Amino acid sequence: MNPYLKIAIAETSAILRCGLESVLKRLPGFHIQIIDIASEDVLLDSLKMHRPDILVINPLLPGLNRSVAQLKEDSGCPQLKCVAFLAVIIPDDVLKPYDEQITLYHDLEEIKQRLERLLEADEPEEPADEEAQNLSSREKEIVVCVVKGMTNREIADRLCISAHTVITHRRNIARKLQIHTPSGLTIYAIVNKLVELSEISPKSEEAN
Amino acid sequence: MIEKELSLASRTFKHALRRRPMYKQGIYKESDRMSDLISDNYPMLLVTSRFGIALGFGDKSIGEVCRMNHVDPFTFLTVVNFLTEETSVVSEATCQKLSIDTLVKYLHNAHDYFLNFRLPHIRRKLVDAIENCPSDVAFVIRRYFDEYAEEVNKHMMYEERTVFTYVRALLRGEKDPKYNISIFRKRHDQIEMKITELKNILIRYYPGKSSHLLNSVLFDIFTTEEDLASHTRVEDFLFVPTILAFENQTK
Repeated sequence: MNPYLKIAIAETSAILRCGLESVLKRLPGFHIQIIDIASEDVLLDSLKMHRPDILVINPLLPGLNRSVAQLKEDSGCPQLKCVAFLAVIIPDDVLKPYDEQITLYHDLEEIKQRLERLLEADEPEEPADEEAQNLSSREKEIVVCVVKGMTNREIADRLCISAHTVITHRRNIARKLQIHTPSGLTIYAIVNKLVELSEISPKSEEAN
Repeated sequence: MIEKELSLASRTFKHALRRRPMYKQGIYKESDRMSDLISDNYPMLLVTSRFGIALGFGDKSIGEVCRMNHVDPFTFLTVVNFLTEETSVVSEATCQKLSIDTLVKYLHNAHDYFLNFRLPHIRRKLVDAIENCPSDVAFVIRRYFDEYAEEVNKHMMYEERTVFTYVRALLRGEKDPKYNISIFRKRHDQIEMKITELKNILIRYYPGKSSHLLNSVLFDIFTTEEDLASHTRVEDFLFVPTILAFENQTK
């Protein structure tokens, strides 16, 4: 799951908006950027401009005359998750189109679980990650190839697998290590002695 | 127990307020004291210096200090309030009132700061801090940093040579038929990702002993990361809309 999230809060009350913002920012394991939306008239422009992952919105926001589906469409963010933010009791049929709800009395843990559930819906392939932050031996082989500057095609040929499989492996490696660039993988490979500097860098004698 | 929790909550809240005052937009006005702005919000020091405003404000107001330094107070305050509020949509009416000249100078000075001060400074400290780790590790870390610095350099030099040159010409009334600010908007990307990655690698995988110096480098990287991110935000959400508005006016 991507811990970097853009969340827009659409709520007219500064106290509620501010409160929700500080609660969201305290959620462990997330890195959240908040977009404040204080009134309906800037709602659409803000969504278009910032393209948040999640919109937490008061369903009774004054002036709100679009349905949830329309909002997703008009803002050009069909993937947007809409979460109803409830300060009062609201009829179920109003809430139905929303992807999730948060109420005033939910605690941090509850909100965290709800956000996680919301985001997981998008990522069916999330493997049971418990056993391995460590790389499998195949993944290590791939790291070495990447670090040596081989292309996905070359790696596929070398290891007798499809290029598509190489890409899947690389995605898993990036997720496990939180390293997304070849130069970052190089540091990882050297630190963990997967390769020698001389194998990857003809200029290594010039070190320093 | 409850008391402890309460005090923790209020501390966190105060901390959040100190670091990044919420709902400050429109709160800083020309009549507020410049020294209060900086004390409330020390990252604004970077902003004043990029506008070419020197320290030693005494009790002078933001408006007075700006005028003494020949800086358009409206543009200064818009940038300040935009940054302290973290995210906001700036209205077209505001964009039309911004001084483009002042904004370009501000961005140029920010580039100068990153390229000629901040990154070289971090590099020197980083090289010293990793001196005692295995030489091959030190080598690849240094190389990572140098590649990153080169990327930032390219990114900012494009803005200096292409974008600002275009904008300055536009201000003189010369319109380049082949370029417009939307080209920049489309190709403009974030530049703090790779330094964020370096920070994560050091935190997760650094093999040597930790040291005060390495911690200090990490602190520098944390602040630079935020600084670069807000720099990009100013470009995307203040600078680009302002130039767009100006392009439309002069059509």
